[in-house]
Amino acid sequence: MDVEAKRIMALSISKLYSLRTQRGGLCLHRSLLLSMTMRAARDIYHTAQLLRDAEEEQVVPCAPDAAIEEPMEISKDSPQTLTPKEVAMKHQEPKETVEDDKENQCASERHSRKRRSKTAIEPDFLPLKKAKMDTDEEKQHLQGEVLRTNNGNSCRQAETLTAFPTNRAVVAC
Amino acid sequence: MSSHFYFTFFPPHMALLCSVAADIISTVEFNSTGELLATGDKGGRVVVFQREQESKNQPHRRGEYNVYSTFQSHEPEFDYLKSLEIEEKINKIRWLPQQNAAYFLLSTNDKTVKLWKISERDKRPEGYNLKDEDGRIRDPATITTLRVPVVRPMDLMVEATPRRVFSNAHTYHINSISVNSDYETFMSTDDLRINLWNLEITNRSFNIVDIKPANMEELTEVITAAEFHPHQCNTFVYSSSKGSIRLCDMRASALCDNHSKFFEEPEDPSNRSFFSEIISSISDVKFSHSGRYLMTRDYLTVKVWDLNMESQPLETYQVHDYLRSKLCSLYENDCIFDKFECVWNGSDSVIMTGSYNNFFRMFDRNTKRDVTLEASRENSKPRAILKPRKVCVGGKRRKDEISVDSLDFSKKILHTAWHPYENIIAVAATNNLYIFQDKVN
Repeated sequence: MDVEAKRIMALSISKLYSLRTQRGGLCLHRSLLLSMTMRAARDIYHTAQLLRDAEEEQVVPCAPDAAIEEPMEISKDSPQTLTPKEVAMKHQEPKETVEDDKENQCASERHSRKRRSKTAIEPDFLPLKKAKMDTDEEKQHLQGEVLRTNNGNSCRQAETLTAFPTNRAVVAC
Repeated sequence: MSSHFYFTFFPPHMALLCSVAADIISTVEFNSTGELLATGDKGGRVVVFQREQESKNQPHRRGEYNVYSTFQSHEPEFDYLKSLEIEEKINKIRWLPQQNAAYFLLSTNDKTVKLWKISERDKRPEGYNLKDEDGRIRDPATITTLRVPVVRPMDLMVEATPRRVFSNAHTYHINSISVNSDYETFMSTDDLRINLWNLEITNRSFNIVDIKPANMEELTEVITAAEFHPHQCNTFVYSSSKGSIRLCDMRASALCDNHSKFFEEPEDPSNRSFFSEIISSISDVKFSHSGRYLMTRDYLTVKVWDLNMESQPLETYQVHDYLRSKLCSLYENDCIFDKFECVWNGSDSVIMTGSYNNFFRMFDRNTKRDVTLEASRENSKPRAILKPRKVCVGGKRRKDEISVDSLDFSKKILHTAWHPYENIIAVAATNNLYIFQDKVN
């Protein structure tokens, strides 16, 4: 199950990357669906990995099936089962992979409250190409570019629009 | 619309009327009388077909569709602010009801809706005083007499002119347009917003639905399609990527963020998978002609809803359930994101939708029978009746069955249309358009 989850996660990420270069601009619908699928797969994968690690440590085997089924609920909140201590122990990635995972490390910095521990360990299948990531400065710059829809003729008076940051969809994963 | 059609139609005896090769077709639509059929393609072109008048001299050519007009509706554009190319692909075409000799249709790409007027010219004025027949200005010194120009017949010319351009109202990609039954307004829908326009006014539109969250990272669903009720000018529906449909009443408030009705079927937990979200996303929503029912298409099923029952659909039809075990491969090759459309027949008794391998499916709502037909050059001889096809799901494959693994997923039928009164269907198979007619014995 986690092998499948890992494969789907890798597939989703590479599809999200290729969306950026598509003609016609970012497809919001597809990037949303890809993000959701990637998140679901990631949740399964991490939970499975966690359980496997817990199994290795303890002599008494636990029941993996029941626990894996539960996180199939696609939710934005990551399961609270991971503690930083456990994660730090399992951080085995080679240095090269950690550098390549700049994308996800930056993401973890942005969602520092919840996601840092989870995304700090990233598997080794992520693309080697380093994607440019939104820093906080850039984010503010983007929000400063406001666009009015309908040339100001909409009946929604307070309507403003930030330039849609195309890589947000990836970050939101 | 006589009711005897549904007694005799199923099983259908569809025969090829005509077929045309084209660029990749992205939308197909009959006009309200069925006299005209419009197709839009990936290259931004619109081709309009007209049904040939029945003539006693050539009865075997009854009702063939021939090319009436071809024009370039949209061109590729570039958004300099966002450094994005805007595709010229025609996403949707909707006809306006005919009010005079000319025909009007709305066509849209990702960002801009255009109103096109298609009119015939079969006469021209001749005998001008100040210019020649070919348009050159005459030397005034040679003009010695005065004459009145007369109108003379000429070869029929069909011209298409853009009458209105409705632009700059959508940040996201337009997926639907729908003309209101008041014939004065229409709406355009993108991933997050729906705008209401007056057909006469292009510099102003009203936003009637906005589901954009304050923080885009909290986005969980997008609008996938929307349509006005066929008779009630205040009512419209829109579908979402989460598999729900919202019915809104424009009389309730100017901004229809709060729905009047919410249609959603509870998810079957035994069918849960990584791809549940994707396959529950609704790709098309269509009111029945009667306005009593709603039809939705998601990846594996077509559902018919009663407007008076929000808790679950009235009927669910499996289009190609044998794909349920193949979702991972379909995710890999992106087929799981294909957006199939669905259509009603004129009497709302039969529904039709496309599938893979150039198959399309029809479901008879009364008898609960269904049929799979194929649109392909090899299998379609003019006037030969289409043979029903069958996909083999089990181990043993019969002689004329096709196994799931042999299906060609590059041959998909996403767009179909049904004549408003007759059993004539238009099926777009990638870059071929097929028109089938029920053989009346």
